[in-house]
Amino acid sequence: MAQPFLKKDDDHDDEVDYSPFLGIEKGAVLQEARVFNDPQLDPRRCSQVITKLLYLLNQGETFTKVEATEVFFAVTKLFQSRDLGLRRMVYVIIKELSPSADEVIIVTSSLMKDMTSKTDMYRANAIRVLCQITDGTLLTQIERYLKQAIVDKNPVVASAALVSGIRLLQTNPEIVKRWSNEVQEAVQSRAALVQFHALALLHQIRQNDRLAVNKLVSSLTRGSVRSPLAQCLLIRYTSQVTRESASNTQTGDRPFYDFLEGCLRHKAEMVIFEAARAITELNGVTSRELTPAITVLQLFLSSTKPVLRFAAVRTLNKVAMTHPIAVTNCNIDMESLISDQNRSIATLAITTLLKTGNESSVDRLMKQITTFMSDIADEFKIVVIEAIRSLCLKFPLKHRSLMNFLSNILREEGGFEYKKAIVDSIVILIRDIPEAKESGLLHLCEFIEDCEFTYLSTQILHFLGIEGPKTSDPSKYIRYIYNRVHLENATVRAGAVSTLAKFGAMVDSLKPRIFVLLRRCLFDTDDEVRDRATLYLNTLGADGAVEDMKEFLFGSLDIPLVNLERSLKNYEPSEESFDINSVPKEVKIQPLAEKKAPGKKPTGLGGPPPAPPSTIDAYEKLLSSIPEFANFGKLFKSSAPVELTEAETEYAVNVVKHIFDGHVVFQYNCTNTIPEQLLENVTVIVDASEAEEFAEVASKPLRSLPYDSPGQTFVAFEKPEGVPAVGKFSNMLRFIVKEVDPSTGEAEDDGVEDEYQLEELEVVAADYMLKVGVSNFRNAWESMGPDCERVDEYDLGPRENLAEAVNAVINLLGMQPCEGTEVVPSNSRSHTCLLSGVYIGNVKVLVRLQFGIDGPKDVAMKLAVRSEDEAVSDAIHEIVASG
Amino acid sequence: MILAVLFANSEGNILVERFNGVPAEERLHWRSFLVKLGADNLKGVKNEELLVASHKSVYIVYTVLGDVSVYVVGKDEYDELALAEVIFVITSAVKDVCGKLPTERLFLDKYGRICLTLDAIIWKGYLENTDKDRIRRLVRLKSPTEF
Repeated sequence: MAQPFLKKDDDHDDEVDYSPFLGIEKGAVLQEARVFNDPQLDPRRCSQVITKLLYLLNQGETFTKVEATEVFFAVTKLFQSRDLGLRRMVYVIIKELSPSADEVIIVTSSLMKDMTSKTDMYRANAIRVLCQITDGTLLTQIERYLKQAIVDKNPVVASAALVSGIRLLQTNPEIVKRWSNEVQEAVQSRAALVQFHALALLHQIRQNDRLAVNKLVSSLTRGSVRSPLAQCLLIRYTSQVTRESASNTQTGDRPFYDFLEGCLRHKAEMVIFEAARAITELNGVTSRELTPAITVLQLFLSSTKPVLRFAAVRTLNKVAMTHPIAVTNCNIDMESLISDQNRSIATLAITTLLKTGNESSVDRLMKQITTFMSDIADEFKIVVIEAIRSLCLKFPLKHRSLMNFLSNILREEGGFEYKKAIVDSIVILIRDIPEAKESGLLHLCEFIEDCEFTYLSTQILHFLGIEGPKTSDPSKYIRYIYNRVHLENATVRAGAVSTLAKFGAMVDSLKPRIFVLLRRCLFDTDDEVRDRATLYLNTLGADGAVEDMKEFLFGSLDIPLVNLERSLKNYEPSEESFDINSVPKEVKIQPLAEKKAPGKKPTGLGGPPPAPPSTIDAYEKLLSSIPEFANFGKLFKSSAPVELTEAETEYAVNVVKHIFDGHVVFQYNCTNTIPEQLLENVTVIVDASEAEEFAEVASKPLRSLPYDSPGQTFVAFEKPEGVPAVGKFSNMLRFIVKEVDPSTGEAEDDGVEDEYQLEELEVVAADYMLKVGVSNFRNAWESMGPDCERVDEYDLGPRENLAEAVNAVINLLGMQPCEGTEVVPSNSRSHTCLLSGVYIGNVKVLVRLQFGIDGPKDVAMKLAVRSEDEAVSDAIHEIVASG
Repeated sequence: MILAVLFANSEGNILVERFNGVPAEERLHWRSFLVKLGADNLKGVKNEELLVASHKSVYIVYTVLGDVSVYVVGKDEYDELALAEVIFVITSAVKDVCGKLPTERLFLDKYGRICLTLDAIIWKGYLENTDKDRIRRLVRLKSPTEF
């Protein structure tokens, strides 16, 4: 909340030193709001109270439902006053209070009266308020007035109706679309802002009709658009049309290019910029087309307005990625922006220069950047580091100066992310530019001498262990590594011991001296450091094969760490030492949510253990290692695990459905949760009598299922090739149970056969659909074409709300929602959802779902399917029809 | 869409914040982000000199007006240039309401009128009126003169 401020200078002498809202309290203001109920209204007093309410709301204060309702009802009384100032406040506070649907009725009649009033401003404001608080039913009642308002001669009234239309299009598109004629008329309005709002609304109404947008753009580019804002919109729509129709032109002439080029000479800077940007974003733009746009952007670079400089350099930065040569003319102007007071502009200028600079300008540029780096924030610095890394890979001969720059900034103050970005860059340069290796490693060695981040120290030590022994003089790194053993925390010390061992293993001449150093580590205070030293001394000193030793030191651990951890926890100390070969190698099934993050950038330092493979890769590997399933061909899809037991039962079983072209494999993941039992010969007996098209072909039992150590058993079925067969399967877990003595952990020799009923399992149509998204649905839809399109309408019956119906259909089809269309705005009466996927047989499928809900919550749906195969389009309709 | 309009005093306390289409749980994040942006960059900046930043696909244009700082945040069609237009409309209308560059006290004194002014300029994330004379009339429920 705003605090009272202190007197700052003499100009303020005439002002009292505290805020008019000092000590304001919600409770007191709500009490004051009772003045709204006075029979003799005091407009001035009422306005003051509303101002206080607005102040509270603007400070992020919230009202409870009861408080809001009380205030809202009181506010409605103020419609009795004829005071204009108060009425204006009333309009604002009603919008801020956002009354609920059952309260709206109280003000509807007052607002409708205002909406048909002779006073223009009453009309304009009443439209804004009504359209904010209204729902679909009321909207149909006032639609007539709104249509009139759109063509009202008062521009304020027309704009109010048009902007309301833009908002209502999200929730009630079918109603707003009926206003096309009026909106079309408003586009021709002489009032600049009305034209701007009308154009925005008209485009939104027609955005899915390519021909209509094309026509709109064609007619407006020939006519005159009055406001610069509207002109900017027109340029955007034109650019969109140009992008979509570019592939259709045979002559090579780009439609509307002349219009865009003409806009570069417009008097408003915003229009010039918009046109320049549109030209730079044209598909396959040529140098000739690009030149005039780059020229105006270059002029903007030296504008006195920071916003223009920012816009220009941001656009040039993008152009530099695809057409670096075209931007080189602007380099001198951009160099002067490095000292721009606005750091966002300076950073963009630097990164653009790094993309466009040639080999000869690198040194000069680096000098400028050095002075610049000290006064920008870490997040900007990271952007610069990444640009320098790319530059160095582009000009490997310049590695010396770029590596020096990186090592210098590595020594300066900075947070973890920044330092990590620098270290990653140095590592990548070492890997990709052999000449940079030795100097790079030495820079890293110097960095760990004074590094405050344990993570970075251990990662660098690991990297040194791999790369250092391969250099011409490995001995020079030993001092830096051994220093860590003396000066650092236990984690880093342990890392240093491992690195020393790697040098000893790879460089024979160093081995005796490494032994001396490792022996000193035997007296370390930390268990892990001592253990590692002992282990490595034994390994390096043993007479075993050199290759085995290297494999042990440098090889990756091919056992999932979770499995190793579990086995170690279960291991009871005994005469028999722990055998690492006894650890199961199968990857425990991860819930889908834990799948690896897509599109992660490669990082410089790979951690010692390799990242676990993605779930689908793991499944594929697992299944292909089982001879019975090896000839099933390529795995099409694996479902998410389906639980077949309740939580916290004796045996926890879930199943993953693996779909192949002509087979289905059920992978039952079983866990025994009883410490006193050992299960053996575990199988699942599957009854497929309700799955006629499936025939069991193989079953792979699980030999042993000890306590809390998950295992898998499989059952495979044959099904008609390429057919999305569905069916229901009932499952019975069958096994031999043996008692285990908890004190010794030994199982009895004799067991008893037993069974355990599991839940039913279904193979559904969605199992044959891969969730594969498309980045631009519209383009994908258009390019798929209507040849195999199938459209039909369905009645989905009564539903809780639209969102529930949309989710049900998405789950039924098992497809990937695109462009966030799975989210249904609350209270909306209609919705369009776009889905994409790949159907079995690798057939791409796109689906456009249009939902509408009527009064008694009956949902109707129009389903349009496009795919590469009409049989698949029909199949999708069948899924919906039978679902 | 214009995602946010925010006024803060010189100490970073919020005077007015209006969000459009920003989920409630993200507002606090935006508020502190903007105030920090101002604290880092607005020192010594001249009145109404615009500063600009972008964060992912969102643009921010901000400035100082007397004792208060003003931030507007937008995306899609409201990029840095459109926002510059929006902030220009806002600053000239606020100066018009206050009669001069606002002190914090003056701003709070004219709070109600400033709320009405903002309501006339931006509605539901769209720029609705740009002319300060027209805005002044709209706040008083008077029709514009020019039609």
